Amino acid sequence: MRARLYSAAVILCALALPGQAQEGHPLKGSWIGEWQGNEVHDEFVVVVLDWDGRAITGTINPGTDNIEITSAELNPEDWTVRIVADTEDASGRAVDYVITGTIEDLELPNRYIKGTWQNGDGRGNFEIRRQ
Amino acid sequence: MQTESRRFALAAATVGAAVLALASAPVPAHHPVYGKFDPNETRTLEGVVTKLDWRNPHAHIFMNVVSDGETENWAVEIESPAELHLSGWNGDSLLPGEHVVVEGPTARDGSRQIWGETVRRDGSRELLFVLDPDFPVLSRQSRPAPRWPDGHVALGATPDATGDGYWGYPTETALIEDGVSVRMSADGQLADIDDAGRVAPLQPWALALYEHRQQRFLQDDPMFLNCKPPGGPRQYQSRLGLQLVEDIERQRVFVLLGSGNRNYRILYLDGREPVGQVGGDDDNPLYYGRSVGGWEGDTLTVRTVGFNEDFWFTNGGLPHTSQLTLTEKFTRVDFDTLRYEVTIDDPGAYTRPWSASWELSWVEGTELPAHICQENRP
Repeated sequence: MRARLYSAAVILCALALPGQAQEGHPLKGSWIGEWQGNEVHDEFVVVVLDWDGRAITGTINPGTDNIEITSAELNPEDWTVRIVADTEDASGRAVDYVITGTIEDLELPNRYIKGTWQNGDGRGNFEIRRQ
Repeated sequence: MQTESRRFALAAATVGAAVLALASAPVPAHHPVYGKFDPNETRTLEGVVTKLDWRNPHAHIFMNVVSDGETENWAVEIESPAELHLSGWNGDSLLPGEHVVVEGPTARDGSRQIWGETVRRDGSRELLFVLDPDFPVLSRQSRPAPRWPDGHVALGATPDATGDGYWGYPTETALIEDGVSVRMSADGQLADIDDAGRVAPLQPWALALYEHRQQRFLQDDPMFLNCKPPGGPRQYQSRLGLQLVEDIERQRVFVLLGSGNRNYRILYLDGREPVGQVGGDDDNPLYYGRSVGGWEGDTLTVRTVGFNEDFWFTNGGLPHTSQLTLTEKFTRVDFDTLRYEVTIDDPGAYTRPWSASWELSWVEGTELPAHICQENRP
């Protein structure tokens, strides 16, 4: 419960902040949102993405879970995104995330990615908004 | 994207003629007119002037228009006072109570705004607020470039030889790779979206983003929306120009901009590295980056790194990333001509380095026009 309240507070704060302009690669930057129904890593999610000219790299929940993104792809034909990240749960069991979605409001600083996440049998809606 | 591109091609063809008409105009607007106004939705309005709002970046005429018995207040956007003034117009050129007829495209968002393509008093044929195509009077004399006592070419005004003046009216106002011919407006709006891939060697994501911006008629341009600085080559694409002020003793050149938000950039010629110039802000990417350079004969060569990604570095919306390195060459080929050559090396957005070049003209006997982007912004 406390985690949910914390998450809600952070999201509200994030939504209150104006998005910093990002006119370069559309994925670069910090994203905050939710992967709904995620019982392993809470529903609140932070994704930090970078672009080095050849590859998209990044981390999910930096500082807390530090889930390294193993691959991320952007299809500029339709602005779809696919992110793969492998980690472990508290018991050491492998947790492999596959996130797919589409960039919406591409032209806005606070564009967002809307789609789904899945991990084995777990799955749900996924939505993160650029900060 | 291709299907979308084809759809857009039809729309682009529809407005192409209007866009190209704009391209051929000697003095186009400061922002993409068709980003805000729809050339397919033109109207003629007749009404009574209630106010002339004489402020940059664009003046507005407010007028009451009676439609179906209801009085509507319309805002007529016209060129900037900075340029209208140069053509002899001022805030008293049209007074409240006068009857006017306005023609032009209306706002895309459906609000009561219209671009004043033509404005005239009711019953008169004289067009108001027309920019004089013959201004400024640019020198066509053949004069050698002025030099400082140490022999190097003066990039700007010198106390003894040149008097006041600035560089303006560039021959190109949107980036395009040297050797490529593509039809586009002065704002960088392509006449044919299928030409997008020819403008520069864009990576796939950058090409798609460039097309997206074009398809939205450049209305998302952060310089227009938020008065973001015209960093990179864009600062040399404004007709309102810039001044190059050389500080010989301190080995630096100040680039003073005449439009946008009228800020400045410093080119350091003292041999320093392009690192934190303001108290160690190396990790603070900037709109104008960090510029160092030196003279190679009569050409000043400047290398700039450290750009942020918060702005468009050219009219037309070509993307860039923080990996951008600019190499710029400034050559005053004669008294009245500044040649600007730029090489864009941005492995984040382009497949290879590429170059563009154009010339600016010396506008003699005057200082930079005062044009502040934020002046009439909320």
